[in-house]
Amino acid sequence: MFWLNCLRIFAVTTLTLSAEPHRLFLCGAASKGYVVGAQLPPSGLFTLTARETWDHLGYNHPFLSSLDYDRRDPRVLYLAAGNGCIRSADGGRTWRILTSWKVTELQDVAVDPHHPETLFIALPDGIAVSSDDGRTWNHADSGITRKFTKTIRIDRAIKGRLLAGTELGVFLTTDNGAHWSRAAGTPEMITAIEQSPHQPSEWLAATQSSGLYRSLDNGSSWQPVPAIPAGPTLYKIAYDPRQPRRLAVCGWGPGVLVSEDNGRTFTPRNAGLPSTRIWSVAFHPDHPGRLFAGVHEEAVFVSGDAGLHWTRRGMEGSIVQGFFFVPEARP
Amino acid sequence: MNALFTALLLLSPAAAPQTAFPDRVRKVIEANAALPNGSYQTIAAKLYLHRDPEWCSRRLEELLQSPSGDMFWMFPVTAVAYLDRGQLSPSARNALRQSWKTYMPYRGDTENHWLMYYVSLYLMSQLYPNQPGNTWYTGKSSAQNFAESEEYLLHWMKLTTTIGQGEYDCTHYIGVYLLPLSYLAAWAEDPQMRLRARRMLDWIIADYAIDSLNGIYIGAHARTDDTQVLEKWNGVSSDFGWLLFGLGYPLPGYSYYALFYSVASAYQPPEAIRLIAADRSRPYLHRELKRTRNRWRFTDVRNAPVYKTTYMTRDYAVGSDQGGILQPIQQHSWDVTWALDDPRGRRNTIFSMHPYSSTYELQMYFTAMPDFVTEAVVRSKKSYDSPDKFLGGSPFEQILQDQDTIIALYNIPSATRFPHINGFFPDTLSRFEEHPSGWIFAQGGNTFIAYRPLAPYEWKPVSGGGRRLLSPHLHNGTILQAASASEFPDFEAFRRAILALPLDFQLDPVPTVRFRSLRGRNLHFTYGQPRDFSQWKLFDSPYLQSAPGGRLLTVTHGSQHYTIDLRSLLP
Repeated sequence: MFWLNCLRIFAVTTLTLSAEPHRLFLCGAASKGYVVGAQLPPSGLFTLTARETWDHLGYNHPFLSSLDYDRRDPRVLYLAAGNGCIRSADGGRTWRILTSWKVTELQDVAVDPHHPETLFIALPDGIAVSSDDGRTWNHADSGITRKFTKTIRIDRAIKGRLLAGTELGVFLTTDNGAHWSRAAGTPEMITAIEQSPHQPSEWLAATQSSGLYRSLDNGSSWQPVPAIPAGPTLYKIAYDPRQPRRLAVCGWGPGVLVSEDNGRTFTPRNAGLPSTRIWSVAFHPDHPGRLFAGVHEEAVFVSGDAGLHWTRRGMEGSIVQGFFFVPEARP
Repeated sequence: MNALFTALLLLSPAAAPQTAFPDRVRKVIEANAALPNGSYQTIAAKLYLHRDPEWCSRRLEELLQSPSGDMFWMFPVTAVAYLDRGQLSPSARNALRQSWKTYMPYRGDTENHWLMYYVSLYLMSQLYPNQPGNTWYTGKSSAQNFAESEEYLLHWMKLTTTIGQGEYDCTHYIGVYLLPLSYLAAWAEDPQMRLRARRMLDWIIADYAIDSLNGIYIGAHARTDDTQVLEKWNGVSSDFGWLLFGLGYPLPGYSYYALFYSVASAYQPPEAIRLIAADRSRPYLHRELKRTRNRWRFTDVRNAPVYKTTYMTRDYAVGSDQGGILQPIQQHSWDVTWALDDPRGRRNTIFSMHPYSSTYELQMYFTAMPDFVTEAVVRSKKSYDSPDKFLGGSPFEQILQDQDTIIALYNIPSATRFPHINGFFPDTLSRFEEHPSGWIFAQGGNTFIAYRPLAPYEWKPVSGGGRRLLSPHLHNGTILQAASASEFPDFEAFRRAILALPLDFQLDPVPTVRFRSLRGRNLHFTYGQPRDFSQWKLFDSPYLQSAPGGRLLTVTHGSQHYTIDLRSLLP
């Protein structure tokens, strides 16, 4: 029995711990004083170096919303940018714009873990998909009314199932985007959707004014999370990959909110932050309790204890759209 | 008899100096070549004139060490590339070429951004053909860049000539529509593209010509700015009124948009269009169909229609759109503007508006998130969130125009950020009277103006001169009637005529007006009433005619007849 329990602990730990280290990327811009046509300080894609500094990769770009990577080769990144969907084959250093004038101001990008040659991008006017590593694109948003799509996520456990966060709420497809339907009980103006790394049938959705919502049935239906009231905009959701009951959300006003009981209660963890205007949060999958926060036009802040204490860590004066962890590429 | 004939010639628009256009072009170029600031425009002007190539090469390399400006960088550098003609040093030419690999300009989020972006990319891909993707910031080959650019340009031309321009009648941004088209007209190797560019220039210039009074852009605009909304001369459009038609006055030193237009094709529009700009001997009514900017949220319609009306006379113009939020931030919906011998430094317009500010408007037209978007806008458009602003549209304003009569009605919810309307009256009026009847009578230039506020108001000063009519009533309205002074023996006769016009209005439950205009038209307008715009054309007036979807614009002035036909040129 003892050895069986050891085996169970090992299996759970293996599932929840990363099998390999991760590289941290950040999408952000030095926004103070910038308007289109003005001089732009280093902005776009950054990676955290071993010296704990931010290394600017690729071109200067004012609007980078998100990134994902090719599961076949983590050096291949896809960026959701103002100029289109951008592919980098070398970890972000060189770029190629994949899309044309037909898409613009990308809000999100998702690589299908089941079919890594398939990419989805969230657009102001819907969703587009490529099934050939970004060479060609087609719109895939039939059934989504009011097309503005802020975020898109692919169910890692169920092939063909995707969730999109749109103006009118969470939309769901079970046929790889051919058809979409509005999820039951969904709020409107979705800002973020995340799938639990511990329980794949569980999802969370953040909203512009309706608080936080949870689904326990693979995104088919949604209920409000009572611990977070409606009102302020929530921008990002972060599950702790190492701690099944810990998660964080962030927004303007609430700041960083952390739950240690899987969302039953939340505690503000803003002491030491210069403001509660937070664009992004993320837990490092390799370091227990390590939490990153992007504070509006201040800096990146890092905590080693899930937000109880914060340290300023570069990206001065920036807006950080997101933190992204990509497995280190094997040589 | 000879003296009479000479006088008639001098008075006739047909006597305007046609040969002066090349001289005006030259003036613009020479002025920019002499600028001390060493910018791209100076380099372009000098290269055009074949002057100081060593300095141009040296200065170009300096500037290219730190490129910035996105599409506003792309078009000057493109011009320099084409004006090179063997003058630049190999080192400078190489630096120019390399910059298109090492610097990624942002494509932007407006129609003008994209036109500058794709014209520049088209021409640079043409200049450097057969080059692989790793030599361009796009990562795409010359052929791919060229094909994408060409496809977009054809798409934009088709959209503009079928459902109307989205960024229409812009007092400033007209420059960044004309200069890229001037580039294509000069430098596109494809003769069809050159022809398309010339016809699009005709299209946009004709659009400007018919809505201009002595070179001043009048009426409703998709975009204008805090300065030019009050001082109607003071903007880039006036440069082009002077450059293209010899009308009005250019800006001091000439805008760099005029410079880049001039060093490319310096396209001169045909005589029929010049006459439309110049001849104000007969009043006319002109209507246009445009489209809104892309609406991303809160609507099922990506580009809603915009219905513009302009009534033009020798002395004044009254122009409007139908009201509503048709564009973000810089929309201007209606006014009366009068002619002045010299409008420079003078405010010559009257209008009312609702100063609307909300994240709803900004999130409709921008992809930004709500919390920061207003602050971000105010950083560059400083008046946006101000209660005393004169710029911007409102979802709570509806406008009816019949010839030179305006009825603007407001139904403002109490929770609105700024629950009042503003009216603007300049300090250049030669007469200004608040009559006990409620009418305000004024004279600007040779124009008599009667302005009827429908709710109580007070006056506030305006920085730079003039006064603001502030009316803090949610149900509100304005009636405006204009007339030429020459129609009446004197101002008193105009006043009597206005006071004799039947007027009946009520503000509750919603504003509604019954008014017989000075032109004898019985007007009845209620806020929220259904309106029939089904017969509206792209252009509809004695001078310009174009049906929606047509890609065809006929231009007529007297015996001059000209057709802008893109049907065979656009897929």
